[in-house]
Amino acid sequence: MISLRHPFGWVLRLLAVLTFIYLLGPLCVIVAASFSDTGYLAFPPQGLSLRWYRQALGDARYLNGFFVSLRLAGMVAVLALVIGTAAAVALTRFRFPGRTVLEAFFLSPLVLPGLVLAVALTLFFAANPIVPPGMPRLVVSHLLVGVPLVLRVMLPVLRRVDRSIEEAAQNLGASPLHAFFLVTLPALRPGLIAAAALAFIFSFDEVEMALFLGSARDAPLTVVLYGAAQMQMDPTVAAVSSMLILLALALMVAQQAYAQR
Amino acid sequence: MRSGAARGLIAAGLLAPAALVFAVLFVWPQLGLFLQSMPAAAPLAQYQRFLGDGYYLGVLGSSLMLGLCVTLVTLVLGFPLAFLLARAETRWAGLLLLLTSFPLWVSAVVRSFAWMVLFFRNGVASRFLQGTGLVPPDFQLIGTFSGVVVALAQVLLPIMIVTLYAVIRGIDRDLEHAAMNLGASPAVALWLVTLRLARGGVLAGSLLVFSLSVSAFATPSLVGGARAHFMAVTIYEQTLELLDWPFAAAIAAILLAISLSVALTYGRLLGDAREQAR
Repeated sequence: MISLRHPFGWVLRLLAVLTFIYLLGPLCVIVAASFSDTGYLAFPPQGLSLRWYRQALGDARYLNGFFVSLRLAGMVAVLALVIGTAAAVALTRFRFPGRTVLEAFFLSPLVLPGLVLAVALTLFFAANPIVPPGMPRLVVSHLLVGVPLVLRVMLPVLRRVDRSIEEAAQNLGASPLHAFFLVTLPALRPGLIAAAALAFIFSFDEVEMALFLGSARDAPLTVVLYGAAQMQMDPTVAAVSSMLILLALALMVAQQAYAQR
Repeated sequence: MRSGAARGLIAAGLLAPAALVFAVLFVWPQLGLFLQSMPAAAPLAQYQRFLGDGYYLGVLGSSLMLGLCVTLVTLVLGFPLAFLLARAETRWAGLLLLLTSFPLWVSAVVRSFAWMVLFFRNGVASRFLQGTGLVPPDFQLIGTFSGVVVALAQVLLPIMIVTLYAVIRGIDRDLEHAAMNLGASPAVALWLVTLRLARGGVLAGSLLVFSLSVSAFATPSLVGGARAHFMAVTIYEQTLELLDWPFAAAIAAILLAISLSVALTYGRLLGDAREQAR
């Protein structure tokens, strides 16, 4: 261990503390600024009021956007979980030629720019309107990243689960399907929850595909916020942002509490 | 046990939904993108237009420059923090690591907006710079290249730290001890031993952050404002505002080629890094 009592240790520590402030400071600034009692965004905040929260919560665009995002992320999480887990089971429990290539192919959207995926899908849907515009298009587009996210979590999880327990269940008379549902699935539950959470958060936070493929009526919250932030320095954007930061914090705490049960 | 044919059918059934999603929404649109960027009449015209125009070459240049600057900033700031987190023995280390990755739970739009608040003319960062007297009194960081670098580096920093953390955790700390017992100062030990052993991870993290910065959209567009001449913003304008789809497809294909070549190198390096750590 490089001693932290040595001067060099202090230099490292100081750098780390500054980096920490740089990393989390802006999030704190936005929460603080949202309580300001001024007609414009002010930091440090002047006065203390909840008026921007009242105004944000009374604004139909934000409310509608929030519920659109919630519905979108919920559908993406469920569909990605089912499709991705099924594929992960096939990739880990069956042997067939081209398996590793297929696995790399299924994971590849994660390394491609979201914007390129969004443009390709925009041009594609314009020429081939096989999916109705609005929400359905957003859902299927987000699956393109949601399924790989689920795979990335579930592949290692499925590989770790002890196959011998499954085989023991089958030796005791369970059919392979029964063995899967009785033995494997309960062991997978933490992985499944982590995978669904990851897909949900991706979809809830994503803005590029949402901007390209969403309709004005079904605009997710990130798109509404993007538009509002571009227009003016509106304090209601800070209030909505703060609520999203607190929501993310609550989700992270819940996930940790679940993981450490 | 079931017959091979039945097992094959089950496997095919399990793979079918994912295969359908990928064939229809991934392979087909990506192929379409290339086809649309190369109209039969003049296959290379769109690419010539991009590569023959000083303005668009400038856009490509500033995106690559942005990638370089952001990678450097995240590396210089991320390594000390990742190192301390990986070597810390207190129970706070877990909590600190969690807090470090917390920004990843928040949308890039929200995180970029935080920087807009700081960067406006009367924002804290702008007022600080004005106070130093180095910049004119009406200076604001919004709409500047440096502003975009500062904001995007903060947005991508958690990814760099998480990558470096995993690699540094895999390095035997006894090697640092040994170097210091042989007379190396902590700084030299860090330089000669840790940084050298972590170089696979450093390269992998750098390539990942580089690829993400070159193609970043939300942060450059919000913090860079109307004068944000970056690849992703240009593609957005060509697609949704100017409706020049063949040209947009060509720029997207160029961006895709950059990301793919970086990603392939990254995959190889990460594999090597894991081998080394073993």
